[in-house]
Amino acid sequence: MRMLKSILKVRWLSSLAFLAVMFIITGLINPDFFTYSNIIECFNSSVVFTLLAVGVAFVIMTGEIDVSIGSTMGLAAAIAGMLAQRGESWALMIVYSIIIGLLIGLVNGYGVAVLGVPSLIFTLGTTGIVRGLVYVFSGGKTTENFAGSFTNFGSQTLFGQITIYYTIVLVIVIITHLLLTQTRSGKYFIAVGDNVGGATLIGIPVTATKIVAYVLCGIFAAISGVAFASKYGQVNIVAGAGYEMSAIAACVLGGISLSGGLGNIAGAAIGAVIMSTISRLLVFIGLSSDFDNTIKGVMLITIVVVDALMQRRSAEAARRERLVARASGSAR
Amino acid sequence: MANNVSQAASTLSAAPTGEPNKLLSVRGVTKSFGTNAVLKQIDLDLNGGEVLALIGGNGAGKSTLMKIIMGIYQPDDGKIYVNGCLTHLTKASVALASGIYMVPQEPMLFPNMTIEENITMGFQERKQQLRARLKGVIDEIGWKFDLNRKASTLSIAEQTLVEIIRGLLRNAKILILDEPTSALTFDEVESFFRIVQELRQKGIGIIYITHRLSEVFDIATHVSIMRDGIITLHGPVSDFNHEMLVQGLLPPGSVQKAAQLTEGAAIDYANTEPVFELQHVSGHGFNDISLKVYPGEILGVAGVVGAGRTELVSTIFGRDKILQGKVLLDGKDITGYSTKKVLQAGINYVPEDRHNHGLFKISNITANTTSALLEDRRLGKLFLKPKVEQTITQEFVDSFRIKIAGQEQLAGSLSGGNQQKVVIGRSLSTKPKLVILDEPTRGIDAAARRDVYGIIRGLRETGVAILIISSDMEEIIELADRAVTVSQGSINAEFWKKDITQDNLTASSFGLHMEGEAHEQ
Repeated sequence: MRMLKSILKVRWLSSLAFLAVMFIITGLINPDFFTYSNIIECFNSSVVFTLLAVGVAFVIMTGEIDVSIGSTMGLAAAIAGMLAQRGESWALMIVYSIIIGLLIGLVNGYGVAVLGVPSLIFTLGTTGIVRGLVYVFSGGKTTENFAGSFTNFGSQTLFGQITIYYTIVLVIVIITHLLLTQTRSGKYFIAVGDNVGGATLIGIPVTATKIVAYVLCGIFAAISGVAFASKYGQVNIVAGAGYEMSAIAACVLGGISLSGGLGNIAGAAIGAVIMSTISRLLVFIGLSSDFDNTIKGVMLITIVVVDALMQRRSAEAARRERLVARASGSAR
Repeated sequence: MANNVSQAASTLSAAPTGEPNKLLSVRGVTKSFGTNAVLKQIDLDLNGGEVLALIGGNGAGKSTLMKIIMGIYQPDDGKIYVNGCLTHLTKASVALASGIYMVPQEPMLFPNMTIEENITMGFQERKQQLRARLKGVIDEIGWKFDLNRKASTLSIAEQTLVEIIRGLLRNAKILILDEPTSALTFDEVESFFRIVQELRQKGIGIIYITHRLSEVFDIATHVSIMRDGIITLHGPVSDFNHEMLVQGLLPPGSVQKAAQLTEGAAIDYANTEPVFELQHVSGHGFNDISLKVYPGEILGVAGVVGAGRTELVSTIFGRDKILQGKVLLDGKDITGYSTKKVLQAGINYVPEDRHNHGLFKISNITANTTSALLEDRRLGKLFLKPKVEQTITQEFVDSFRIKIAGQEQLAGSLSGGNQQKVVIGRSLSTKPKLVILDEPTRGIDAAARRDVYGIIRGLRETGVAILIISSDMEEIIELADRAVTVSQGSINAEFWKKDITQDNLTASSFGLHMEGEAHEQ
């Protein structure tokens, strides 16, 4: 029990353990799953979710939320698709998506951090606006017929069947993870989510930190849109709808607390693999992938409830300790 | 005493600008929130090696002043000098860079981080260098800490120490301690005082906010008393004694106020059974509380904020666990009842914070007044009867003189006083035997306050027992037939009508009652 507790304390390690358990259970039900390429494919196919989850992780760590990432991804994907139809370069697509992500992130950050609108409501509003823009840009039609070099790029493998995409994403994950845990300003995100008042008192720029979190989140979401367009070869007008739930669930599964202040990028990346793997595993188990969203929702709620109960218990214990200490001064 | 005040005033007025040898000088700082002037021309000085005790009642403006010094609020007017230099404390990081550090009343650590991360957070220097300095600071003070512990596992005392180390690592020369001992146990307070002495010997200037007058003489070198946004008394501690400090806390002319008392209730205490009785009740935030309330009596409960009064009544009302003791209503044991059952038994509670716990702001007045009666069959079995609702509401509107445009008006749009009348009306609609009023007139104007007092007195005439919690001493004097004071979670004094005076209430609220003194020695 004590060992279990100490493993659970390192939250991203327990998500890694959870992923391993999922693989093992699937393998026990259907031994066909246990091939090298099947398992590697689980990671390769998680590129889009990983980028989304890493981005939104910044926002969740500061104690806020961003539900507009699905539509941001959709918009960036549609624009990348249009550029791909004309055979434009990768660099241009990345530049465009960075601009899109930056603008959406600034709007969200301004609304939440400066105007003080509840983040769920504000980003829900941006979701509507951005999704509307997707319709405007694509004329209500699916964007397709991309240049072959664009769609082939993602499936090229580097070593041991790992795609170029996943390699790039892995490098990004490792770099952001280190930036967040090892640098001064990286820790600001956690600090703001952990205790806003305390952060203000030691001179951390709370508003700026939150805006930066939203900008990073927007940029990551937009870049994931490029990956999406390349991976699927076509961009539907509703592309990315519902992805925000998977990305947020990935963060929570990876040990990032929805109340902020707890978790890291590595956890979000592992959570993203879990999320993108579920439908694949369902097929191996012999269940319909129609259960996909339901299972994701159940997992999200289960973890959030457990997390909330634990947080409430420790907050209540701390409050009582304070009150008892206050009254005990006179008891002596 | 009068001499001291004028002396202090003359030295202050003789120094219109900051003097270079002063660590911190505040000159003419003024701050208002809306129409409410919180600070009026505050002057304050602090030298290195001084411990300046800052005392004052609730709402005196202490925290606002500290937040201005910390750069969290901006003053409307006035100047602040640090080391004799005019400094514009535009945000917290500027104050920190100027060597000012505040340890807030409730430590503001990052619970999910380790001690080391907490302390080193927000520094711009290299890690190794920082760690070496941290080790230096800890060695110098001689505290033993496992720096890898999570902050959430620390006791309040340890959290306060971590906050102080954080300030020292920032080379803070001015340390603001906001009621640092309020959540410490007796032993912890002693060792904490030793630390404050050490810091003082290092030449650090400390502003020490406290509610406990005895601490002033234990630890401070200088003392300033704030009341209603002004500093009423300032000087070296050796110039004062307990009585003089209490005088400084009182509003001018309070003696005359006490003279024009209203008559107390004529209760034959010997032959009357109390409606409500607490027998040695302990809970989270209060210890061994015993009291009785008689029918047709107003019992005042005085004390400073954080003394445990609100915790006591919300626990009685079923919001938290009673750890020990008995609660009796009409002789019947109601210990541990849920809120609903307490209400049904006949106790009603008008909470301190009517915005968060009292009023349904976006409902109309009818709904607010009758919301406590929703279980009552008078309002109809399944569908509510609007006529009955309106009749009941109109009774209260008329008898309480609630100024409304009509019953359909939203409660949130009423003035503070009328909101409070609606909340009181609602709690009376259930015809309770005991009404608990927590800070009944906070934030409402004088006219409405008179009306509320009238309502409360009228209620007493009908034989209801009333328990009033108030930090406003004048309110207790005006209303209460009997009063107790709560200090640090226990009742430390009880007064009969003739003894309910500003002096007595203030002295014992700040923990200076005769009995308390005897126990301490």
